[in-house]
Amino acid sequence: MQPQALDTIMEGRRSQPNQLIEVLHDVQQNYGYIPKEAIESVSQGLGVPLIEVYRVASFYKAFRLKPSGKNVLTMCTGTACHVRGSHLLLDHATSQLGIKPGEVTPDGLFSVEHVNCLGACALGPIVAENGSYHRHMTPAKLRKLIETLSRQKTEDAHHAKAQ
Amino acid sequence: MLQYVNVNIDGATVRAPRGTSVLDAAIEYGICIPHLCHVPNLSDIGACRLCIVEHVVNGRSKVTTSCTLNVEEGMVVRTNTDKIRRLRHNLAELLVAQAPNSRAIQDIALRCGVKEVRYPFRNEDCVLCGRCVRVCTEIWQARAIGFVGRGKDRHVDFPFGIRPDFCKQCGNCVQICPMTIPPCDGPMKPGEEYLCGKCESQLMIADETPGSCVWCLLGEGFGCGRYVGV
Amino acid sequence: MPRLNSYRELEHLRQRLREQRQNITTTVMVCGGPGCQASHSQAVIDAVRSELSSQGLDNSVRLCVTGCHGFCEQGPVIVIEPGNIFYCRVSPEDAFEIVYQTVMKGEVIERLLYEDPVSGKRIRTEAEIPFYKAQDQQLLSKHRMVDPHSIEDYIVAGGYAALPRVLNGISPEEIISEIKSAGLRGRGGGGFPTGRKWAECMEAPGDEKYVICNADEGDPGAYMDRGVLEGNPHLVLEGMMIGARAIGARKGYIYVRNEYPLAVKNSRIAVEQARELGLLGDNILGSSFSFDVDIARGGGAFVCGESTALMASIEGKVGEPRAKDVHTVVDGLYHKPTTLNNVETWANVPAIVLNGSSWFASKGTKRSKGTKILSLTGRIKNTGLVEVAMGTSIREVVFDIGGGGANGNRIKAVQTGGPSGGCLPLDKFDLAVDFDVLAEAGSMIGSGGMVVMDEETCMVDVAKYFLTFLQDESCGKCVPCRLGIDRMLEIITDITEGRGRMEQLDLLEELADTVSQTALCGLGKTAPNPVLSTLRYFRPEYEAHIKEKKCPAGVCKALITYWIDPDKCTGCGVCISGCVHEAITGEKKQPHIIDAQLCQKCGICRSECKFDAIQVV
Repeated sequence: MQPQALDTIMEGRRSQPNQLIEVLHDVQQNYGYIPKEAIESVSQGLGVPLIEVYRVASFYKAFRLKPSGKNVLTMCTGTACHVRGSHLLLDHATSQLGIKPGEVTPDGLFSVEHVNCLGACALGPIVAENGSYHRHMTPAKLRKLIETLSRQKTEDAHHAKAQ
Repeated sequence: MLQYVNVNIDGATVRAPRGTSVLDAAIEYGICIPHLCHVPNLSDIGACRLCIVEHVVNGRSKVTTSCTLNVEEGMVVRTNTDKIRRLRHNLAELLVAQAPNSRAIQDIALRCGVKEVRYPFRNEDCVLCGRCVRVCTEIWQARAIGFVGRGKDRHVDFPFGIRPDFCKQCGNCVQICPMTIPPCDGPMKPGEEYLCGKCESQLMIADETPGSCVWCLLGEGFGCGRYVGV
Repeated sequence: MPRLNSYRELEHLRQRLREQRQNITTTVMVCGGPGCQASHSQAVIDAVRSELSSQGLDNSVRLCVTGCHGFCEQGPVIVIEPGNIFYCRVSPEDAFEIVYQTVMKGEVIERLLYEDPVSGKRIRTEAEIPFYKAQDQQLLSKHRMVDPHSIEDYIVAGGYAALPRVLNGISPEEIISEIKSAGLRGRGGGGFPTGRKWAECMEAPGDEKYVICNADEGDPGAYMDRGVLEGNPHLVLEGMMIGARAIGARKGYIYVRNEYPLAVKNSRIAVEQARELGLLGDNILGSSFSFDVDIARGGGAFVCGESTALMASIEGKVGEPRAKDVHTVVDGLYHKPTTLNNVETWANVPAIVLNGSSWFASKGTKRSKGTKILSLTGRIKNTGLVEVAMGTSIREVVFDIGGGGANGNRIKAVQTGGPSGGCLPLDKFDLAVDFDVLAEAGSMIGSGGMVVMDEETCMVDVAKYFLTFLQDESCGKCVPCRLGIDRMLEIITDITEGRGRMEQLDLLEELADTVSQTALCGLGKTAPNPVLSTLRYFRPEYEAHIKEKKCPAGVCKALITYWIDPDKCTGCGVCISGCVHEAITGEKKQPHIIDAQLCQKCGICRSECKFDAIQVV
């Protein structure tokens, strides 16, 4: 973990406890999760008790306390997506990848998360993957998506090896 | 200079200083309002909801927790209506079904009129009353423990789950915890899930005089106002 | 652009900008709203832009990327003015034809027009399409020609005309009086009279006050606020400025949920642009009114839509609600008087100031005035954002605007108000979209989410879904919400898995009543609504699950079986290769068979089968 990144994030915010959530957002964006050392530094920098920083980091779903997989598959489980069968998608993802929501596959390639509404309700069920939204998803389409993403990683690895 | 106000609790006029909660005022006068997360000299958070009362305003009554309701001149409060008793019963039933293996929780349940429990028993060892967290934060100022997680996952823990070196090891968190008084023989055995009947004396009093104090164990170690000065 | 120091300078700017645009002959509006984005409208935008450029039309044709037009099901959407030509399901490959045929030659491309499913005819203009005709788009229409990244567009379209009025000429008391007479009620779910809220906040003691815009929009299935905030952030800002002036606040926050990064971005840009022009900051337009706004991001917590939790979140704390014996208009953010209103509520304010309270009150019903944006989704043909006058019946919304059931299914119910609301059956569809009418029927308008359900939706499963959602989102502080919802979910799960007993229904109702009366905040208090409303209107479904151990809608996995109809099965083998549980066997061209023991009802085979041969029994 680079301390410089944290210094930049804390700039202009020192000793301002109300900046805690914004700071954690920036930490999450930078490191992909909130490392233990970051929590300790933020506690000191903002003047917020350690247990409070830990508490806020564990309360909000936006913050991960552990690193995520390379491909984060986010299933929307909002009402509109649910009545169009989003629970089948979640069941399928967990069964095909062998992990529960919030976990990472052993090879670090995938993690599955669910969110209670992405706000694109008219086109559900929606699966978000690395920033793009896939609409009108079905278990079959999801299976193909996972396979495509797995193959991509293998191809990338081959490329890297070849070079 | 303390300013006093008059409040009507269950028909009795109670005089209390401004800034006191209805719960504190009632207990001071010997009116028992069951409570769990309230501890004298610690802040009140209104989490357990057991101390609910009916606050009557303009002919309409609102159900609210007496620990977070501050006394005002002319306030009318009712602590023991049928509605409140039923609601309290249901809340206590939820609590005891969740964590039955504590003498204090069983006492509270009996005090609130719970005889049979309509949910499958679980065996949790924390009811999230927050007494430990508040005593650590407010009295000892150590801030070694706190609530982490959310909803079903909410639990009390050290930062990162490891006891920090600034924990003063005072032991107050354990002392003030309602779960640390086990009934008799320890955790419920599978197949023998029922309310421990050893608090039988309390059961009889709770039945006959629903409004009065049953000297439940929560008061003895944990500073219910009833016990102050006893 | 230089800072505006007076109302006159603002009007001069407006005039100048309009004159600059006189050379524009055609405006091509491509929707960049959340639905169209998910339909990859960005590629369409890029293609049209490059095509216009290569034809040398940059100076005479304006490409405007707008917020949501509402007809998300038909996206990506393009509207061309003049002519109000409406193209739907546009792909990037169409860009050349659109520019060449329509923009340059004025000819309409038939195949891109909307086809009316009833008459089979193609409809040329947006205004004639039944989906739009049946609506009353007061708010949504405001951002049709506005690029959310352009304050100039907003000014050209007539924006920031209400703000100067409240800086000179009308007193704060008069503003509040107008809002009161207009009858505006909160659009976030509470329906609290806005004028009264503002009055109480203005009268509260203290010099430091705040206004907050609640853009947490947590109701799953609802994205109206996203549409308005992303599409027209300046409209919301102007509303907040007027409110701040009325109650005496100098600082405001827009609290945007973390799942809306585009809304965060667009709000930030809008605030920056407003500051640059001097519409935010000290001495706005040369008056004594100073006001600034910051954007605060949520952290992924539905409970932060509750006012005290939201304020705690802005203060950098966990979003745990507190008891509201003292209201937030007196003791709110940082313990100061605070006025918190929903995005749509703020968006309604400028028009009330400009057109007057009687104009606003002329629409709607006796106690619900104005229009409401609804997010119409679920199992109907036309899904999207729609705006109707209060008093419109549910039937009109679902059938006239929504186009009726998708896939020819029979519509069974509509769920309104999100997790705090309830489900209403078909025979209640004549009820009006009105705060009090829906509340009396056991549901509520809520934030405006309207999810349509058909015969393939299990109402017990719907109750289970909402309880699961609320259990996930509960802050966990109070006993009735944390333990009560858990136990209600336990009972409903028993019912959906075939272990239900009739006496559990009584316990469920009693527990629901206890939770609604004793919970600390709105989340807990309204958590029982989905359960209570489905019990009230769909009791037979519950009883079927309990007495017959059947799920009539074919949803609850433990009570259904997947079965291949041998008459429809062609033996193509697609399902066999798709089944991850190896539960299907069969020879080529012979009817296949599903082993019920191995089948996990994951749904892959059903979604792959092109012959509709796999049934749920």
